[in-house]
Amino acid sequence: MPDRNNPLMDNPALELVHVGRRLAGRLVVDALDLGLRRGEVLGLLGVNGAGKSTTLRMMAGVLAPSSGSVRLDGEDLHEHPARARRHIGYLPEVPPLHAELTTLEYLRFCARLHAVPRGGVAAAVERAVERCDLGEVRSRVIGTLSKGWRQRIGIAQAIVHEPAVIILDEPASGLDPVQALKLRGLVRGLGRDHAVVVSTHVLPDVAACCDRVAILHRGVLRHLAPVPAAALGRYIVATARPLADATALAGVASAERLDARRWRVALRGGGTAEVLAAAVVASGAGLAGLAADETPLETTFLGIAGGEAAAA
Amino acid sequence: MSDLLLVARHEWRRLAMQPFAWSLAALLMALMAWQFLLGLQGFLDVAPRLGGLADAPGATDLIAIPLLRSLSNLLLLLVPLVTMRSFAGERRAGTLPLLLASGLGNGRIVLGKFTGALGYVLALVALVLLMPLALGLGSTPDYGKLAAAFAGVALFAAALTAIGVLCSAWAAQPALAAAAALAAGTLLAIVDAGARLEGIHNDSINYLALGTHLEPFFRGIVASVDIVYFLLVTGVALVLAARRLDALRTRPD
Repeated sequence: MPDRNNPLMDNPALELVHVGRRLAGRLVVDALDLGLRRGEVLGLLGVNGAGKSTTLRMMAGVLAPSSGSVRLDGEDLHEHPARARRHIGYLPEVPPLHAELTTLEYLRFCARLHAVPRGGVAAAVERAVERCDLGEVRSRVIGTLSKGWRQRIGIAQAIVHEPAVIILDEPASGLDPVQALKLRGLVRGLGRDHAVVVSTHVLPDVAACCDRVAILHRGVLRHLAPVPAAALGRYIVATARPLADATALAGVASAERLDARRWRVALRGGGTAEVLAAAVVASGAGLAGLAADETPLETTFLGIAGGEAAAA
Repeated sequence: MSDLLLVARHEWRRLAMQPFAWSLAALLMALMAWQFLLGLQGFLDVAPRLGGLADAPGATDLIAIPLLRSLSNLLLLLVPLVTMRSFAGERRAGTLPLLLASGLGNGRIVLGKFTGALGYVLALVALVLLMPLALGLGSTPDYGKLAAAFAGVALFAAALTAIGVLCSAWAAQPALAAAAALAAGTLLAIVDAGARLEGIHNDSINYLALGTHLEPFFRGIVASVDIVYFLLVTGVALVLAARRLDALRTRPD
């Protein structure tokens, strides 16, 4: 089985080979090697100015690399741009919306722009509207909508043509917490059939919906690994009354006391938050809070970009 | 071809949703209608005296051609206002990546934008042309000369539109794009003014001027040298605009 963590893998949907980019004489991205298959979601992390957006723009074919190549299904994006770009859906940092059109008019144009056959446009637009939950604003003029709605329309235009590779630059920007949670589900769903790259500042988003995480720092890929498995089964539990021993709870493999009423617990394989919550309630200590523990990812991220992240 | 029309139709739809495009059209129509009526009144005043002249100018020469000549002067100002948003507006609004990330090549994007803007400008020219054509209700206009004048104004508009699209691709701000297109169009229009004052009418400097090639159309002369000139200006401007999009992908500013 090919190594999923190998930056240059077999048959990737998207592949960056030694990609570098200079802007205004400054090296913004340096010799980046990265591969991504269909069915995979890659989270791209980095502090402001780390080179995330520049990397995504090169992946989308909007910006040409100064060195190296971007390949889509093995084809060089800049040698066969017209063919390759039809397989890419891209949401830039600022959603590229035409404010004077209605949501449907705009999405129809995007579908045709990305070569969806005329007969399939209506179905493709409906699917995107449904996925992004845009039914309420389908006939509204985009210029009159709030930032959250605009962001979702931006995501819809990136997926309307069912591209092989979906590139989302800060997709959660401007979304309220409920919408952000829905976005996680959407990205997870897209990741089943597409290769998805998501750039974000929100570490829990990466833990919740990405298979792998890449951390860029000053244009250099400093970390590329599966999202720490431990992060998926670790929780912070808060109780109403002091809990004597969290390791005694059903499904808990290990536990660390943080203070009198808070424990960091790691579940056994197959354990879920639901089972943990039931065990805490059954213990009589009273469940006051339950949250995923992002410490492993956070530790990695801060270890790489700690100084600047703290300063920011 | 369908990609090109897709972008062009999208431009028309966006223009149709903007009060700016309607206001511009209304203003132009009002100005042209006023001038047309003034021309018509002037013609009616002198018409009795023209009857005694041999080979006297008719309504086409005294009303329609001055109207279209005046329209061509207004186009120098109007076209930059139409084209300024083509690319500069997209860049300012952050919407250009939608086109750049699509499968359309730079040439098709530029041609689509050009066709969209030119379609709007030609619709305005056609509407203005309806005024002299209405003279057919009470007289017999020289339709051949009118057709030649329309063709000349259309080619002139195409050249100005291509220059406007080029300026819009170069400038990051729509106002700057409009100013640059106005300057470039005006420069091309008056480049031979000094030479003409000196009595030079057939030099290479005259060949460069837009007016040199537009004027024959107003006299009913359709010469291939004039058509080639306008097509050349249009083609060169559009190629440069496509090159500019290439540069935006490699050297964004």
